[in-house]
Amino acid sequence: MKTKLFFILLLAIGCAPQAVAQDLLSKLSQEQITPEFNTQATFKATRISIGHSVETRKRGVLEISAMNRFWNDPDKSKRSFLADKLNTRIGVEYGVSDRLTIGVGYGTGYRSWDVFAKYRLFFQRDSGKKFPFSITLFQNGVHRNKETFLFLPNQSFEDELAFSTQLLIARKITSNFSLQVAPSYIYRAEDGFLESESTSRFAIGFGGRYKIGKHVSVVSEYYYVPNPFSFVKTYGAFSVGANWEIADVMLQFKLTNARNFVEDKFIVKTANNFNFKDGNLHFGFHATYVIHFFKRKIRNEQ
Amino acid sequence: MAQEQGEFIDRQGSIALFSYTSVENIKAENNQVASIVDLSNNQIAVRMLMRAFVFEKALMEEHFNESYIESDLYPQAIFQGTIIGLDLSITEPQTRKIQGVFTLRGIEKELDFKATISKEKNRFTISGKLELTVADFNIKIPPLLAPNIADTITINFSFEYEPYEN
Repeated sequence: MKTKLFFILLLAIGCAPQAVAQDLLSKLSQEQITPEFNTQATFKATRISIGHSVETRKRGVLEISAMNRFWNDPDKSKRSFLADKLNTRIGVEYGVSDRLTIGVGYGTGYRSWDVFAKYRLFFQRDSGKKFPFSITLFQNGVHRNKETFLFLPNQSFEDELAFSTQLLIARKITSNFSLQVAPSYIYRAEDGFLESESTSRFAIGFGGRYKIGKHVSVVSEYYYVPNPFSFVKTYGAFSVGANWEIADVMLQFKLTNARNFVEDKFIVKTANNFNFKDGNLHFGFHATYVIHFFKRKIRNEQ
Repeated sequence: MAQEQGEFIDRQGSIALFSYTSVENIKAENNQVASIVDLSNNQIAVRMLMRAFVFEKALMEEHFNESYIESDLYPQAIFQGTIIGLDLSITEPQTRKIQGVFTLRGIEKELDFKATISKEKNRFTISGKLELTVADFNIKIPPLLAPNIADTITINFSFEYEPYEN
């Protein structure tokens, strides 16, 4: 009996400091002001693969991007070393605020200038005031300089314009898996020159990413157009690829049937299906570099 | 001091972290760290939310949470320990050793560091500096980024305690 008591006493003494500390910690968790955090990094870049993601740049962050697509000419006599054809877009984007990003880009394919604005309407929030989705409004406009067979000799500047509006809705379902749905409206002035065609199209984009490592994710995207352009047979733009993030650099590799970079063109006018035939299979490589012009102040530095 | 035996709290203490390398400097600060000190036994407890660290560069903050600390899985870090030989009857600033266990990413690490304690009326401050080794907490840095992140991270801490009323 005495030894039993002794052991109980010993146990009680042994546990005491632990119990006190636990007590302090539980007091802390009651007392601590819990700030609300927006869900971070639904996607790691402003593009999932070929299309825009719900992500905007943070305030004062400049992004410089080079986007390339390489493909082979189906005509074997025109073969050259590695890839026969190349399309490139060079662009910059700037975070005016944490919600608003503006950007401009130049594409070599049609000597096109495109400008866009993205505004984050809602942030996903998993704690506090919960909200299930991130929602971003996207609007761009593009002017293409290259004359196509559709154009009349006296075409005006307005006839060379196209606009895309997208509502990007995404959810980070788990820390590794995110999905996006993008209802889109596209206006292309040049399509109006064909009597049978409409200048307006609707489309819906689907995109997803799965993180396979802390710095690498697999991504895929598909765009469906319910009222497609019919003068030329078109296909839904599809892409599958990998994104690799190294500090301030993001490298995006992809296989796709889309050879253009601006929304109206690749969503509506992708004229080849996705398969491994020459002329249809495009290898895409995007490199994005980020520069911080605005640095937050750290006070407690000695 | 009016309540020399009571409990004292700081709900908005500050912890800053610094990684200095020749490639780049990483600086971040959390101004919402909670801490409580029980003067009856000189016990101290600290709790911080990893998401509350604000980095000088926005992208670094995302990387810190997403790729290194994994704040989805390990949202908080805690410290519980003892301030050895704390005597608040001394009015001059005093340097004391703090011993205890720091838990980050589910990994417990014994810490032993010095802190300066200064008394002002019925409040007191605890501040100081310590170093943490990144490798101790199973944080994997890809070889490509190894030159960008220091092996040891310098931590500055600063707390101002006031009497704790329930």
